[in-house]
Amino acid sequence: MEQVGLAAATTDVTLWSLFMEAGFVVKLVMLGLIGASVWTWAIVVDKTLKYGKVRRQLDAFEQVFWSGQSLEELYRTLSDRQTSGMGAIFVSAMREWKKSFERGARSPIGLQMRIDRAMDVTLSRESETLEARLGSLATIGSAGPFVGLFGTVVGIMTSFQAIAGSKSTNLAVVAPGIAEALLATAIGLLAAIPAVIAYNKFSADAGKITARMEGFADEFSAILSRQIDEKLQQPRQAAQ
Amino acid sequence: MKTSLVTSAVLHALVLTWALVSLGSPADFEVADVEAMPVDMVPIEELTKLQQGDKEAPKAEVPSVTPTKRPDTVENAENVGENKVDIKTPPKPDAKPSNNESAAAPEKTEKALPTPDPAKEDSKEITEEKPASEPATEVASLPEPKQEVKPDPKPEEQPVEEQPAENPEAEALPDKVPTPVAKPKLEKPAQTAKTPERKNEENKKEKKKASSQNESDFNADEVAALLNKTDPANGGAKSGKTEKAFGASKTTGNTLSQNEMDALRGQIQKNWSSFAGIEGLEGMILTVSFELDPQGNIVGEPEVETTGGSETARRTMIGSVRRAILKSLPFQGLPADKYDSWREMVVNFDPSSMSIQ
Repeated sequence: MEQVGLAAATTDVTLWSLFMEAGFVVKLVMLGLIGASVWTWAIVVDKTLKYGKVRRQLDAFEQVFWSGQSLEELYRTLSDRQTSGMGAIFVSAMREWKKSFERGARSPIGLQMRIDRAMDVTLSRESETLEARLGSLATIGSAGPFVGLFGTVVGIMTSFQAIAGSKSTNLAVVAPGIAEALLATAIGLLAAIPAVIAYNKFSADAGKITARMEGFADEFSAILSRQIDEKLQQPRQAAQ
Repeated sequence: MKTSLVTSAVLHALVLTWALVSLGSPADFEVADVEAMPVDMVPIEELTKLQQGDKEAPKAEVPSVTPTKRPDTVENAENVGENKVDIKTPPKPDAKPSNNESAAAPEKTEKALPTPDPAKEDSKEITEEKPASEPATEVASLPEPKQEVKPDPKPEEQPVEEQPAENPEAEALPDKVPTPVAKPKLEKPAQTAKTPERKNEENKKEKKKASSQNESDFNADEVAALLNKTDPANGGAKSGKTEKAFGASKTTGNTLSQNEMDALRGQIQKNWSSFAGIEGLEGMILTVSFELDPQGNIVGEPEVETTGGSETARRTMIGSVRRAILKSLPFQGLPADKYDSWREMVVNFDPSSMSIQ
């Protein structure tokens, strides 16, 4: 008896054999979860790189912006290349400013509003690109364990059916089926845990970057409003 | 995005490869090299009962009867001996003199028959004794003659046992003995050992004189014993399988184990239908006594005694209990070697709780 039990227990229990012995549904679940994990980490790598880049751009832009350089000059250098983040907000605001003044703006309030709108639109577009694909992270994080659990339940179900068929409740008979079924949950958790962590981290980062850009937009809007007032007062003074 | 996707896929491939290689086969559990210990459930009765063996033999762990020279031909035989048939005559410790006695018995009958007095009685006895030479199962169906025979040989045994000590002839015989023992026919014993016959005859004559002066009023039971042509000591067909060892002449204290009693109870209970709604069952106990033959069939009718309860309820329950017992015949699973202990059964029925003790 012991001999039989031990001999049965030493059957192949490597991960590969567990995967290969699993049923069709369980295999599908496992493959899907591995795909989800790949996607999660792709997003993680992508976002880490992107957010780092965005932060560096923000720092560089702020340094240039507050260096006392002329806004016209800055606009000229930035307008002819692809910008993102604060640069994009600045360019959109300046473009609106230019358009309004080239045609000769009459109402300072209208101009202010148009500039704010333009900056808001750019800001929302920027934050959208920042938060792109974070939703799929959230989905993987919340649904991964359930998908894994589904695979496990199906696997255990089939293994119990097999037990009923073989009419043996020896642990060596039961164990491989349950192990292979549990592998599905393990992969589900493996995909879901990094996804949840990454989602929380990146959404917080995106929030911070967006807040920083909003702060810049407000500041720039204040600067432009001051400029508008000054520009509108100059013709009046000249007229008096 | 493409680069990061590729990076992620490559990372996963690396991790999976590593997992397949290093986590692939978990270390087997180290099972301590412990040998399985066989555990037997030993009923206490095994230790308390007397077991059949040989009184003269040295003590051994398991009492064992004298092994016979011929292999067993009868299964579940109860008595020791060289016979092919298991005969229910009480075994005697010393085979040789008893053998002679058996040889003497037919002679005696021949002489006894001409006497005018008990011709009818003799014929009766003979008919009773005939089954004794039949196979063991048949013999067992008549337990009563066995009881009657028992007391009688015993007084005879004592003088017989004393004799061999006095006579060296009897001791010289043993080698020849087994052959006549095997065939308890009328003709052969007459040819063998003539001298012991005389002595036995003398014994019996002396005894008769001692017990009763008149030849006419001899004991019928004694005649029965005399008519028993089979050897009392070597009557059985049971044989020890190992070397003979110290033990009692008969296995006693061989009561039914709890399991066997439960099985018996179960057989009766199964056939005992309850009478729900009968009044006056409170405190009623029905004691049923009956006698069984070795096949588990009842001998005669079960006797039912009742205590407590109302008269009508009693009558109903007596019928019910009687039916239950008759329906569950023959009782199965009663061990043949313990027949002595279940020959007479007393079963208590408690109708108020439908339980059997």
